[in-house]
Amino acid sequence: MVDTHDLPQHNNIQTDLRHHYDDELEEIRTELVEFGTMVLTNVRHAGEVVTESILDQIDDVRQADKPINARYKALETKVFEILALQQPVARDLRFLVASTRILYELERSGDLAVNLVKQLDRLDGLPSDQQIRSMLAQLSQSAAKTFALGVEAIATMDPEIGIGAEAADEETDDLTADLYRLVTERQESLGLETSVALFRMGRFFERIADHGVNIAEDITFVATGAFPNED
Amino acid sequence: MTEEPTTDEQLAPRPGAEQAELAAEIRAERKRVTGGTPDDAHDVIIELDNVDVYYGDFHAVDSVTIPVREKEITAFIGPSGCGKSTVLRSINRMNDLIESARVEGRIAYHGVDLYGSGVDPVEVRRHIGMVFQKPNPFPKSIYDNIAFGPKIAGFKGDMDDLVESSLQRAALWDEVKDKLDESAFALSGGQQQRLCIARAIATSPDVLLMDEPASALDPIATLRIEDLMYELKQEYTIIIVTHNMQQAARVSDRTAFFSVDVNEGKRTGRLVEFTETAKLFTDPAEQETEDYITGRFG
Ligand SMILES: Nc1ncnc2c1ncn2[C@@H]1O[C@H](COP(=O)(O)OP(=O)(O)OP(=O)(O)O)[C@@H](O)[C@H]1O
Ligand SMILES: [Mg+2]
Repeated sequence: MVDTHDLPQHNNIQTDLRHHYDDELEEIRTELVEFGTMVLTNVRHAGEVVTESILDQIDDVRQADKPINARYKALETKVFEILALQQPVARDLRFLVASTRILYELERSGDLAVNLVKQLDRLDGLPSDQQIRSMLAQLSQSAAKTFALGVEAIATMDPEIGIGAEAADEETDDLTADLYRLVTERQESLGLETSVALFRMGRFFERIADHGVNIAEDITFVATGAFPNED
Repeated sequence: MTEEPTTDEQLAPRPGAEQAELAAEIRAERKRVTGGTPDDAHDVIIELDNVDVYYGDFHAVDSVTIPVREKEITAFIGPSGCGKSTVLRSINRMNDLIESARVEGRIAYHGVDLYGSGVDPVEVRRHIGMVFQKPNPFPKSIYDNIAFGPKIAGFKGDMDDLVESSLQRAALWDEVKDKLDESAFALSGGQQQRLCIARAIATSPDVLLMDEPASALDPIATLRIEDLMYELKQEYTIIIVTHNMQQAARVSDRTAFFSVDVNEGKRTGRLVEFTETAKLFTDPAEQETEDYITGRFG
């Protein structure tokens, strides 16, 4: 009979190794918050440029997307390296897998900010219709607010934000529907090209908000092991 | 998320034979891709019910309850000294060989109490075989290593056939078929361990207990053993003790995580969590499990 009670202890070494691992995970989280803030800033700026028709800042929004793309690639590489080298499990694994999704959501949101100002560029300025302008401004605010929920969720790791995100997003959806209705009504006076550009803006704002919701829900998954509304 | 993941409900057969067929196909495919996720269709073959193990006055393991399902791989993990080997040995009454050891509670095999009065421990070990950490072939030929157990048990069939089929099942036949008369010690460590597995299955058990069967092997030999376990679970129920958490994650269907409480210098092991392996390694229910599997201790 093999007596095993005097075999070497296997656990002590691991605890030390994990300091470095913990640091790496915390670094990813901090960088995600920074990255999210970077994208949020450009999303807000794009909203301002579009709703206030600031033609001479269109290129600033475009330029600001370059470091966003670079940051995305660098961070994604980091996450893959940890996945490959550390064999993460449980919450760590959920966090890293969610991080790759969140990175993607953020990068896409950055692209949408650029797409927004492209519409303005194409129109050579926003139509003077006050009602449309004010509706667009509300939509821009609302979308940025929902998107910010996602960034806040990463910063706080609070699962509650993701649980309420879908409801918070309703306002953006409603405003988008209102904008569509108004543009449809005024299609003739606005002209085809302007109408299409306004439709697109509406859709881009709506999508930006959706990305914020997804990010917040990803954080709920990290923290609890399940997505909101999932049993 | 905007896109909901596929759920069982979505796969549930809707009215119409076609949908039902499709759902069955998708399930079969998913099972193929995932290597067969554990489902409760497998019957419980061994039931540990409030098992306590003592060595003399020393309370080594406290109140362990684990239902082991047929044709699944169940892994025991946990820190050194938490009682994994102790519990494993109690399942085929190997603990009887340690004088001070005493088992309380109930361990049932196909519903029969293994510690019941009419039960012969030798018979138990024939049904519930064991493979140890260090490959321990007999100092005999490869052939005799396999033939020895069945001979003692009064096997009357064709011994050559039995030796061949046992070695086949242990994925060793092709490597040794031309040197069956050579000493088992001439084999590599990994081959010796597969020989020990072949020896264990030669007496036709239906449960195999493995105590760190790959810890003395190199990574390639380890993967071969894991692959073999995966094949063996078509026919056998396997319980494996391992220190290698990735191994438990790779091979097992369900995992039991044990921990150890230190009380006045005495260390008593206990079961913390027993659940599907995929669940345990992605979303464990207990913080203690999480701390252990992620390498962080309380
Ligand atoms: N033959 C024995 N006699 C007395 N005490 C024993 C005997 N075998 C094990 N023990 C004690 O029982 C407890 C559980 O030991 P066991 O070997 O089952 O742990 P384990 O989880 O398998 O550990 P390891 O991972 O190191 O193999 C330990 O405290 C050990 O010292
Ligand atoms: Mg042991």
